[in-house]
Amino acid sequence: MADRNTFRLMLLILGLVFAFLYLPISVLVGLSFNEGGLPTAWTGFSVKWYGELLANKDILRAAGNTLIVAIFSTLLSTILGSLLAVGVEIRRRNGKWLETMIFAPMIIPDIVLAIALLSFFSLLGVKMGLHTIIVSHVVFNLAFVSAVVRARLKSFDWSIVEASNDLGATTATTMRRVVLPVLMPAILAGALLAFTLSVDEFIIAFFTAGAGRSSITLPMQIFSMIRFGVTPEINALATVVMAVSVVALALSQRLNRGGLPGQ
Amino acid sequence: MTTPLLSLRDIKKNFGSAQAVAGVTMDIHRNEFFALLGASGSGKTTLLRMLAGFEAPSGGDILLEGSSIAAMPPNKRPVNLMFQSYALFPHMTVAQNIAYGLEMDRLAKAEIKSRVSEILEVIQLGHLGGRKPDQLSGGQRQRVALARALVKRPKVLLLDEPLGALDKKLRSEMQLELKRLQHEFGITFIVVTHDQEEALVMADRVAIMKDGALLQVGTPREIYEYPETRFAADFIGVMNFLPVSVASGGYQGKEGPLIRAADAPELAAGSAAVAAIRSERLGVETQGENSLAGEITDIAYHGLDLLLHVKTPLAETPVISRLTADVAERLAPEVGQTITLGWSARDTRIFPA
Amino acid sequence: MTTDRRPILLMSPALLWLFGLMVVPCLLILVLAFFRRGMYGGIEYTFTLENIALVFDPLYAQIFLKSAWIAGLAAGIASILGYAAAYAIAAMPRHRQSALLFFAVLPFWSNYLVRTYAWIVLLNREGLIVNLARWVGFEGELPSMLYTEQAVVIGLIYNYLPFVILSCYAPLSRLNPEISEASRDLGASGWTTFRRVVLPMTVPGIATGFVFVFVLSIGNFVTPALLGGGQFQMIGNLVYAQFLTANDWPFGAALSMVLIMVMLGLLMAQATVADRASGGKAGDNG
Repeated sequence: MADRNTFRLMLLILGLVFAFLYLPISVLVGLSFNEGGLPTAWTGFSVKWYGELLANKDILRAAGNTLIVAIFSTLLSTILGSLLAVGVEIRRRNGKWLETMIFAPMIIPDIVLAIALLSFFSLLGVKMGLHTIIVSHVVFNLAFVSAVVRARLKSFDWSIVEASNDLGATTATTMRRVVLPVLMPAILAGALLAFTLSVDEFIIAFFTAGAGRSSITLPMQIFSMIRFGVTPEINALATVVMAVSVVALALSQRLNRGGLPGQ
Repeated sequence: MTTPLLSLRDIKKNFGSAQAVAGVTMDIHRNEFFALLGASGSGKTTLLRMLAGFEAPSGGDILLEGSSIAAMPPNKRPVNLMFQSYALFPHMTVAQNIAYGLEMDRLAKAEIKSRVSEILEVIQLGHLGGRKPDQLSGGQRQRVALARALVKRPKVLLLDEPLGALDKKLRSEMQLELKRLQHEFGITFIVVTHDQEEALVMADRVAIMKDGALLQVGTPREIYEYPETRFAADFIGVMNFLPVSVASGGYQGKEGPLIRAADAPELAAGSAAVAAIRSERLGVETQGENSLAGEITDIAYHGLDLLLHVKTPLAETPVISRLTADVAERLAPEVGQTITLGWSARDTRIFPA
Repeated sequence: MTTDRRPILLMSPALLWLFGLMVVPCLLILVLAFFRRGMYGGIEYTFTLENIALVFDPLYAQIFLKSAWIAGLAAGIASILGYAAAYAIAAMPRHRQSALLFFAVLPFWSNYLVRTYAWIVLLNREGLIVNLARWVGFEGELPSMLYTEQAVVIGLIYNYLPFVILSCYAPLSRLNPEISEASRDLGASGWTTFRRVVLPMTVPGIATGFVFVFVLSIGNFVTPALLGGGQFQMIGNLVYAQFLTANDWPFGAALSMVLIMVMLGLLMAQATVADRASGGKAGDNG
């Protein structure tokens, strides 16, 4: 704001960065509605490629699998992650090891966790499938849920717990009528985040799905389709997947009104 | 004499090796407005939290109407606390916040409703029952917190720095308002505060705490006029402290005449002591056993009053004399002027150094 | 009352989960790296250092170096772009900043594969960029853009740029504007103020961004596989191959172990930078 030229330079930088971030995906979304399906010419608006998706049995099955994985891993990780967050914040004095362990799933590279889980499951002789993907997704999802809930707890006025107690409520009543309602937006935001992360997760699912096509998830399906090149069908599928994440995330942000986690 | 409402018997609280409350014994009576006054870290809040039930005493006992409540959990005690942060439930409306404690008592819906609307009228927030706490001003939140604790009609209402978050003007209004409510409801109030003026204005009795122990308990007048320790004297009001040595018939400052004091403790001749005189008792026109000339070094306006800094032979630092507006106007003092200060022996307190 | 066991009880299900499904499997990888590969892809339980030695074989060391080079390039460029963007966002009016930040980070939360795929759409032989070039009148054969090292670097930058923006914005937004004003008041120019005051105070943000992009890139196997083409190999692809095609798990584990060591080292360096910038004070680790 010091001077006009600096401000203009800043606007220019923002314009370029946002163009870089949004042009590629915009092109993708645009092409998914191109009747001809080719990037060479615009032949008119159409949703026919979306119709093709609905006719593709492989995609539908993968979408169903993804939904199962996402729903169960979200449920589990929301419960575990919220309890973890409340416990950690009540306890306050947590050692470095504990903090590292809670933080680690968010930064550990997917490939490392993926091969570790693959080795673990196969050495134990666990038959892999959707269930192994679910328990593996809970590992990182619970960390994200607890991060969101903990962020809310940082600004949580613990004296309202004492106030409730002072006014005659038991611990259980206090949990049900005071703590849970106040935390609910953060818990829901965490759950939505976990849901999108699970829907989008590819590498860990890829390694822990086991052999065969029965437990292929949507990202795995997309990966195998992409390797064969660009098709209008993938454009449509990609647009749908993107829309799901964006809607869930916007909702999560709205509920939470804090920053995005992982900062 | 009837049994006191609340009796503290040698209450102690240790946190690890640190002693927060070091054996407090006192009685608090029915319908009393009692203030616990002390600096932060004096143990006053810990004491209050033990009364509410949030901290278990490390030793001693708390008796309410003669029976011990020390082991009773907070949700069972007929004692309520108004929190310093107010601790309003952010997801509930004002009315829901106030009704919460009554619901815990399992009162009938109709009664809860009438008691909530009744108290909303008392705190003059009848029109705001449907608001959430974050839609209220600081003063309104404070009143909701008060109403929420008061509506349960506890035997004792504990208030932790109830006016601490308000601005100065609102604070003096609320001091009187709290007093009015206490009379109206006939409930014993125990207020924790670090603000001496607040304690003196509101309370029937004040207890000064330091390092976890009671220094002095008394009416505001007793505390102000007859502080028993140098700390208590210093904590309240503007006090001049003069280092003196004990002489026969009086006390010798650095130079100048002997200072005369009434009601002084017995101290060995020649030993060091401190003479304390309140600034408003040290007058330019005051007649008294003590009289002394000095030079005005500074004049400070203090609202209507005027504070004169006067350099005297008694001590290195100037003494402070408070003149009321009418006296100040008549005398029109100026810096550099020499004046004579007088004060009564009765207004001179002597403490061992 | 606050020192009771209840917090531990609340934490234990999640902690047990993390222990059983993260700590133990990761330790398993460490152990695996010291076993011999069996005849037919299995694991022979005899101690050996061969796998670790093999990682430093020129053939594989070279892949390591190339991965580091590509990750470093992507992290470097992303840091510069991200810092500039974060600086620009912080220079906008306060009430606009959170929305701008939200939209800068939004792509980060959409599907990684989809974002990478978007570049295939742009860069492939029949893709939009080629078409655009033809349209403006470029004749002749265009150099292939997809399946190149550059494509991989662009893909990595594209995917991780939002993260750098986020990590750089945090310290920039916390910067007290009076500090810059004090510097200007003491006679420093705008550029000098930036170089001597603003930049040193916000360097931890850049360090965090750089390290994370580097760490996420060096172990990446999706982007090289999709944008680098079939022959392009980075460490991630090598690990992937050991586990899913070559079936040499001990070697794959050894590669991962070295990868983890590199990452841990960098994360520790980053923590040191952050610590030093905060003046050695405990500061906020939250």
